[in-house]
Amino acid sequence: MTSTGWRVAKLVAVLMIVLWSVAPIVLGVSTSISTQREVNAAPERLVPHAPTLKAYRNLLEGTNNQRAGGTVTESGTFLRSLRNSTVLALVSTAVILVFATMAAYAFGRLRFRFGGALFALLVGTLVVPIFVVVIALFKLMAETHLIDTKRGLVAVFVATLTPLATWLLYTQVREMPTEPEEAALIDGCRRWQAFVRVVIPQMSSGIAAVAAILVLSVWGEFLIPLLLTSTMTAKPVTVQITEYVGKYTTNYPILAAAGVLALIPPALLALALNKRITGMLAGSS
Amino acid sequence: MSGTISLESVTKRFPGGVLAVDDLSLEVEPGEFLVLVGPSGCGKTTALRMVAGLEPVTSGEIRIGDRVVTRLPPRDRDIAMVFQNYALYAHMSVRANMGFGLKMSRVPKQEIRRRVDEAAAMLGLTDLLNRKPRQLSGGQRQRVAMGRAIVREPAAFLMDEPLSNLDAKLRVEMRGEIIRVQRRIAAPTLYVTHDQTEAMTMGDRVAILRDGVLQQLGTPDEVYDRPVNSFVAGFIGSPAMNLLPADLSDKHGDLVVSFGTTQLTVPPRVTESRPGLAGYAGRKVTLGIRPEDFAAAERGDGLANVTVDRVESLGSELVVYLDAGVETPLTVRLERRVELEAGQDAQLAVDLNRLYFFDPESGTAIG
Repeated sequence: MTSTGWRVAKLVAVLMIVLWSVAPIVLGVSTSISTQREVNAAPERLVPHAPTLKAYRNLLEGTNNQRAGGTVTESGTFLRSLRNSTVLALVSTAVILVFATMAAYAFGRLRFRFGGALFALLVGTLVVPIFVVVIALFKLMAETHLIDTKRGLVAVFVATLTPLATWLLYTQVREMPTEPEEAALIDGCRRWQAFVRVVIPQMSSGIAAVAAILVLSVWGEFLIPLLLTSTMTAKPVTVQITEYVGKYTTNYPILAAAGVLALIPPALLALALNKRITGMLAGSS
Repeated sequence: MSGTISLESVTKRFPGGVLAVDDLSLEVEPGEFLVLVGPSGCGKTTALRMVAGLEPVTSGEIRIGDRVVTRLPPRDRDIAMVFQNYALYAHMSVRANMGFGLKMSRVPKQEIRRRVDEAAAMLGLTDLLNRKPRQLSGGQRQRVAMGRAIVREPAAFLMDEPLSNLDAKLRVEMRGEIIRVQRRIAAPTLYVTHDQTEAMTMGDRVAILRDGVLQQLGTPDEVYDRPVNSFVAGFIGSPAMNLLPADLSDKHGDLVVSFGTTQLTVPPRVTESRPGLAGYAGRKVTLGIRPEDFAAAERGDGLANVTVDRVESLGSELVVYLDAGVETPLTVRLERRVELEAGQDAQLAVDLNRLYFFDPESGTAIG
């Protein structure tokens, strides 16, 4: 293929990928500012005749038992679920980072017995799908009374995501020069002081990227919270959204509005840390 | 400050069996600048890291001042180290980098400030104190690394190839700088390099290491004039000494050394100062001639039938590669005014008083 042909092909491929990713969002935004009637009308319109924020109002302020096309919302629940998601994402991420940073440093730098085997075991858990352990997990959580608690969810997220975070940070530790921390040891630091004062600042950009990846993962988590929550004490936004699917009919504008609002925090985070995240995943950070 | 650094039979064997340093003993005297030099992989950096406490010692003893530090962690050894890649703390300002060690040992802030300012003035860093390392040039970073080491006023200085990452001009400049600073601080300094020029120009004494074994320890002049073996002879000096397989024979009481078509009569002075040499008559030896011990000659006591292979002009002098009928080309350093061209036959004189002889098997200097 000529180079022009090649470039055209690449452009087409990129456009298709962008279309594939962006189309649902465009459709979601468009639906959320339409009325139920317009959504059901044929032929469909991408841009509604009279854009309205009614769906957002209904979502946030409640439908007050109005018949809203099968969807019932209560004032405050959606925001509550957003708050739950935020708390879950931030707390899980913080706890994971504490463990993963230390583990990555230990595996990457220190020589200790069975270090290699332990690391292999830890990273090996990455290939085990959550479905395999879901029943055992449910039983365990039930016995420890952690069902429908944020603590319980945090514990599960920490357990499932720490290996990934450790592995990502481990690659970073391996690529980092050892001399600055050695200089710190000579300058009077104990190992942990060198870790806190020199290693962690050196890793800060990698830690930021991993933090973003973790926040996004927890935010998007669906199956585990679906199984382990039942009330608004812990239910995150991903699960709450499914509540807006009615039994017989669904108010699509409200559903779409919920989707759009749930998308904003992670989208902002991803935009802010875009470069660092892609760098981290490409192993060049 | 009048400490010493001493290593006694220090050995390092890595897990897996590699013997990196083998029974190394040496002492850096108070205020001395000792250069540990050798080709890459000779164990010099490992030796330095053992002194720093960054690498555990397999056997032997290390003392700094009067204290045995063999098993102490780096922070308790009262040393400062300058690394090849500077190893600055990237997130800290120059001031914080230099004061970090003092801060860790809980020196009062005022005192830290005073000492950092003083060191910065000595190194010309005063205007850069608030910068971050990434905003500095290579030479400036190297100065900061030096500054960080000297504000500590340590009992000993360790330097691991601190000039390798600098360009040639800066390297020469920093050589002088380091020596100047070290003279002022007067702490014993162990300096590791693979560059024999650095070793010769900076060291009070030079220790040459090969495969973890100390070959020779002496002043630059000693190791240059009286190398103990052909390895040291070939390593010290630039361009490297010519080491040629040659025959030694006894002709009417005179020792004659010959290679290719060249025959050189060994002067009595040389024979007398090397009583062992006569015993090699009729045998093979390794003959050593330094490139700088040649001179252009009209005729006579020099090389016959040599052909110029290649001429490199360094501006001030010429380096000439000759075909003298032996396997390796002969390297010769001549004054610039000598006119030589490739392909030409040349007549060269050799300073016969400066011939070196080595056992062809062991490489040991014949004495």
